[in-house]
Amino acid sequence: MNNLYKKTVSCPLRRLLWLLCLLTVGQLANAQSPIRYVLKGRILDDNKQGLPGTTVVVVGTSVGATSDADGNYTLPVTRKAGPATVAFTAIGYETLRQDVTLGTDEAITLNVSMVAATTNLDEVVVTGSTLSAPKRELGNAISTVRAQDIVQSGSGNLINSLQGKVPGAQITQNSGDPAGGITIRLRGIKSLAGSSDPLYVVDGVIVSNASTNVSQLALSSDVGNSNVGQNRLSDINPDDIATLNVINGAAAAAQYGSRAANGVVIITTKRGQTGKPTVTFSTSFNSNELRKGVPVNTYGKQFGFPALRLYTIGGVSAAQIAANPGTTTTGIYRDGTTTQLANNLVDVTRYNYFDQIFQTGTGTDNNLSVNGGTDNTQYYVSGGYLQNQGTIKGTNFTRYSLRARVDQRLASWAKVSVGLSYANSLSDEKANGNVFYSPINSVNITNNIYDITRRDAAGNLLSVEPTRVNPLSTIEDMKFSQQISRTIGSVQLNLTPFKGLSVDYIAGVDTYGQFGKNYIRPYPYQAVSGLPAARYPGGFAANATNQVMQFNNDLNVSYTTQLAETLKLNAIAGYSYQYFQSDYTQLNSQNLAPFIETVNGGTSTTYGLGYGLDRYSLSGLFGQATLGFKNFAFLTGAIRRDQSSKFSPTQTNQYYPKVSGSLIVSDMSFWKSIAGTSNTFNSLKLRASYGEAGNLSGIGSYARFYQFNPAAYLGRNTIVPGTQLANPDVQPERMAELEFGADLGFLNGRLNLSATVYSQKISNLIVNRSLAPSTGGTSIVNNVGAMQNTGFELVLEANPVKTTNFSWDFTTIFNSNRNKVTDLGGLSVLDVGAEGTSGAPVRLLLNQPVGVFFGTGYARNPDGTLLLSPSGFPQSERATAANTGTTVFIPDHSGPDGQPNTKSPTANIIIGNPNPKWTGSFSTNLSYKKLNLHVLLDAVQGLDVFNADKRTRQGVGLGDYAERELRGELPRGYIFGIYNTQEFRIDNGSYTKLREVALSYALPQLTPAIKRLSVALIGRNLYSWDSYTGFDPETNAGGNNDLIRGVDFGNVPIPRTYQVKLTATF
Amino acid sequence: MKKIIISALALVLLSQMACQTPEYLNPSTISQSQAVSSPDGLITLCNGLQYRYSTGGALSILYNATAGAGLTTRELNVLNVGNIEEANLATGGGNVNNGNGVVRNLWTQSQLVRANAELILANTAVTDNDPGTKSGIVGYAAIFKALSLGTLAQFFEQAPIATGNNAAFVPRVQVLQEAIRTLEAAAAQVATAPVSANFMGKAVTGIDIPNTIQALIARYALLAGDNDKALAAAGKVVLTSKSVFNFDDLTRNPLFEASFGNLNVFQPASANLGLTGALTPDPADKRLAFLTKVSSNTAVSPVVASAYYTANNAAVPVYVPGEMGLIRAEAYARKGDLANAVVELNKVRTKTAAQDAFGLGAGLPAYAGGNTAEAILLDIYKNRLVELAFQGFRLEDSRRFNRPGPGAAGAERNRNFFPYPRTERDNNSSTPPDPGV
Repeated sequence: MNNLYKKTVSCPLRRLLWLLCLLTVGQLANAQSPIRYVLKGRILDDNKQGLPGTTVVVVGTSVGATSDADGNYTLPVTRKAGPATVAFTAIGYETLRQDVTLGTDEAITLNVSMVAATTNLDEVVVTGSTLSAPKRELGNAISTVRAQDIVQSGSGNLINSLQGKVPGAQITQNSGDPAGGITIRLRGIKSLAGSSDPLYVVDGVIVSNASTNVSQLALSSDVGNSNVGQNRLSDINPDDIATLNVINGAAAAAQYGSRAANGVVIITTKRGQTGKPTVTFSTSFNSNELRKGVPVNTYGKQFGFPALRLYTIGGVSAAQIAANPGTTTTGIYRDGTTTQLANNLVDVTRYNYFDQIFQTGTGTDNNLSVNGGTDNTQYYVSGGYLQNQGTIKGTNFTRYSLRARVDQRLASWAKVSVGLSYANSLSDEKANGNVFYSPINSVNITNNIYDITRRDAAGNLLSVEPTRVNPLSTIEDMKFSQQISRTIGSVQLNLTPFKGLSVDYIAGVDTYGQFGKNYIRPYPYQAVSGLPAARYPGGFAANATNQVMQFNNDLNVSYTTQLAETLKLNAIAGYSYQYFQSDYTQLNSQNLAPFIETVNGGTSTTYGLGYGLDRYSLSGLFGQATLGFKNFAFLTGAIRRDQSSKFSPTQTNQYYPKVSGSLIVSDMSFWKSIAGTSNTFNSLKLRASYGEAGNLSGIGSYARFYQFNPAAYLGRNTIVPGTQLANPDVQPERMAELEFGADLGFLNGRLNLSATVYSQKISNLIVNRSLAPSTGGTSIVNNVGAMQNTGFELVLEANPVKTTNFSWDFTTIFNSNRNKVTDLGGLSVLDVGAEGTSGAPVRLLLNQPVGVFFGTGYARNPDGTLLLSPSGFPQSERATAANTGTTVFIPDHSGPDGQPNTKSPTANIIIGNPNPKWTGSFSTNLSYKKLNLHVLLDAVQGLDVFNADKRTRQGVGLGDYAERELRGELPRGYIFGIYNTQEFRIDNGSYTKLREVALSYALPQLTPAIKRLSVALIGRNLYSWDSYTGFDPETNAGGNNDLIRGVDFGNVPIPRTYQVKLTATF
Repeated sequence: MKKIIISALALVLLSQMACQTPEYLNPSTISQSQAVSSPDGLITLCNGLQYRYSTGGALSILYNATAGAGLTTRELNVLNVGNIEEANLATGGGNVNNGNGVVRNLWTQSQLVRANAELILANTAVTDNDPGTKSGIVGYAAIFKALSLGTLAQFFEQAPIATGNNAAFVPRVQVLQEAIRTLEAAAAQVATAPVSANFMGKAVTGIDIPNTIQALIARYALLAGDNDKALAAAGKVVLTSKSVFNFDDLTRNPLFEASFGNLNVFQPASANLGLTGALTPDPADKRLAFLTKVSSNTAVSPVVASAYYTANNAAVPVYVPGEMGLIRAEAYARKGDLANAVVELNKVRTKTAAQDAFGLGAGLPAYAGGNTAEAILLDIYKNRLVELAFQGFRLEDSRRFNRPGPGAAGAERNRNFFPYPRTERDNNSSTPPDPGV
């Protein structure tokens, strides 16, 4: 009884629904005998050309149609005879409202001409799964990317193709692998413990963009906190996308509350349009190549003797000198000691191993879609096949996708849509960068004096330097692959029972299975090489499966009414329930039998297995009201309450408020008197908003518990207490954002400027705070931190030339974000755990941006010049006392001759910052008749990269510094001298890339069977203006981890792509 | 049509019934209260102590004790300076800072094992009606609490001995006394009821509880300067019994896995274990051939460790029988009973491989040096360096035998104590200042 009572109270929505039901039935009873009319006509633009994509709606109904490629439309409508208004809306045009009288004639012809809009304020923007509003009503900046902006990107990955197109977003391709991960950060980093990845919603279905590792299991214990693997958004075919709206956190607060702090990306797929079936086919061929290599030592000399490992930095012992006559040494001073380094040269043969691991990959992307429909039913069906090879031999990504979307009108006031998509993604990978058996790192860590192509009589590769993997082994003898079967389905019901009221319901499921296979062949040369256990000398095989199901269920009720002549009210209430589950299983074994490539081949004593289960749910209720005064002033207020199973019952209820307003100054009566009737300054909109949102992903589903874990141990049941202590009171992180902006339109809409400033304060930041081990644990999940992001975004759109034959437009985006950690729960510094794998001293420091490189820097004189060591090399700065949590220190130069005192600790200095000062882009389209040129420049400026590989290459002797030292261009011992100073590995990571160039031509109509045919030449990442010394400054060894960014450690460089694309419509 | 829509609406409505947020628990883990609620739960936690102490490669206490003691005393040589934590230990002095990974792991894992053992010892009431099982649980937990406290005392001047926020530090002798107190309490429990078959059947095999308790009392009493207690306890250990940490291909011998099984991290500095001058081992000492073997690539390292580190599943002794003889010899010598000291020393010097539980036999002639405490203690020290090679005693022994320390002429060690790791210092306001070196 008690239970029943609770349920009733906790579902106030139910009562509302019953009420609605009654209202609906009442409405039905009132219906009178309607007539079926068919409206037909052609829509023309200013230049008397047919205008495609115009939406035609009979006002007061949700019945609508869209004009075809020639501007023709057919709109069937069933209603009573009498006057009606038909509204025509098209992006970039003034909405046209045409009155018609529906009489006895059932066929009505209505031809109209649309006028280009002087402002874009009446463009309707999607703000939630089923919610949308005209721009004029929005208090927030929401950006939209359309299909035509995506198809010319030269990339088969959706998020890739957004690079340079979204204000406020920093989009980084983490790796050049064909299925490599991508990070997208909207207005900076938002979380220290969880992900800053935005929430992705496809047609109302919350979809997963997780990167769960099933194919890189061998290295899972080597990568620390790095988050390796593909993002699952790679399963989405960009060709299916109609529009994509990017909403930052505060604006999405009402609709997505607890999950909105990182922003929301709302993706709408293409829908069918009434009319005869239209078939669109596109096919493309592309090639991917290494854009830029790194310098490799080709000088056929080496110090000491050929077998001397790390000849640039390794000391030589008396025994080694005795064993290798002719070896001479010189003493080099560093850090208080003098080391004897060999300084005689011997002859060696040098190779460029990179030539053996890189290839020019090819790919193809093919899409076929059919869409059409009758009055009441529209359909869109598409199929896609993508195959793309990487620039590393043996890597590729293949995706088969199918999608169907059907819209069925049930009654004049009811519509149902069903969407179903299936994708099958397959990829062949190589070991991720963070280990020494990745293709790139196996080269970086091996002196290039061995012929890696040598084989024994049986064809097996031979050993190279001791403890190192022959780079060709990574290509030939290691196989990592995964396949994904994914289904995303949704049902959407839209009801408009009576004027002003709409009820929308969405149920969506995203379910996928990931299956990974891993294989490392036993190294035939282990006896000589002595590889450590971490490289699996006896071979390794593993399988993993990950079964994921996400379900969401949203009900939104919206009511619009005119309260007074000048006052309009739009009220929305909504309820959402979301559920996530994943089941992860993995099996592995080692010491494989010859020729067997699966887990079955391992010795039974090495079998390992694991199962992980994750479940969480979230439910939320929200209400929102927008008041509009005279269509030029709007005020919106909203509140949402969420409950999540990730938090304990005492903490689970979270409230997220939002308030925003907009004022269309140019629509106010005084505007014309000031601006006059001239065309120079047409529109001015001012907007402001404040909102709060949460971050559900900031905490694991079980992170609030002190967990005791089972361990496989010598055949006896074993339980090991966790190292993370319990904190049942942990709460979700909370982001509060204040935003102001202005949208300005000039020259009849030919020039638009949009500016936004924002300030975000993230409080209750979850920090996996370290504990003194004497407490019995090493960490606890705590709401102790605070962080802020402040910045501004500027978008300038211009269309300077627009004639019948020639048009030129360009868009410039400029973003600047400043991030600062303002509280670490009383701590002054937090180690995020990147140093173990990549050597990058990534720290969270109070009053500094997230993830700065805080480590050893060069000793400097008071005038800023380098204080060189007695051997004449840069050296590490020393401090009078260890400065672990502060950037302030007193240099200790009390050694002999003013040298750093090597008895003192090394000073910790901020040597680099991976957060860019600004990002921006410039894109332009030039079209002459049917020829179009598109260029996109994408810039990320004012940031540093920790180039771990640069130092590694010098230490093992294949780098450019090593060559210069051998040639005498650098003094002997230079590399040794600076080797331990982390500042040596900091490189300028600024770049401007020629991201996209596309030249397309619409061929003249050759046959009536083909309506349109166009051909395009597309280039991607053609050139980069940067001063980076590695492959590519756009890199992230930390994968999707927010805290480990700007680290280059064995990463595959992003390829340069050329593509030829043919598109035909039948 | 109306019917369809209305029923669809009704369906939507029904689906909204699930309003309450359920609590999801991880079925693959248990809570603390579940873990300590039964004797079987406590036994699984006992196994967990050994798991945390001895396995996990470079994370394990076994690895870090061997690395910490061996690298600071030139017993071990770093083969690749890219292993920066180990390389800094080998350089010593100020290069060993409070961020050093070996130092941090040594501290952290020892504190965790200590705290986990305390958790078991505080919850043994559920075993009161099964005294034999209680003996096993108390004995096992005491052994690992003592091992972790003892390890801390060998490398740090002070350490906390009780779990808590801002836990107080006590001097290392008190740390050792706490270890001994815990072991003596366990010995009393084991004396009242022998360890049950139930416990032995469920615990990881390898450790002889009664003998290990006495061996560790002897070890830590000697380090704490309580020679009488050390003598008595060492005398109680049955030398033919064997206590080992067992490993297999999954939970591997941590030193073989992380270092001694490859040529990339560290290996013994030489066939003489890095010992030169007066400490150079007797070439006739048959233990040397047991401890190292010639490397497969002498350009990288002349020798590699063999001993107990030859395979993933090679067992590592908890203590070797010879340690008991050397404890007794040293205790006698320090008490001034030189005759008995030489008797005990000779038992170790003349022991052959066949007579030793682990096949470790010097096969040397009896002691023939001077009959002074100083000379006898030096020979005891030299024998400890070989008999207990790679077992993490060299830094402790170098201090206790007053060998030349950092900065002194002919320094044999580059640190006296390790600094307190930053993870403790940053989070525990009771952390004392770091030692100079």
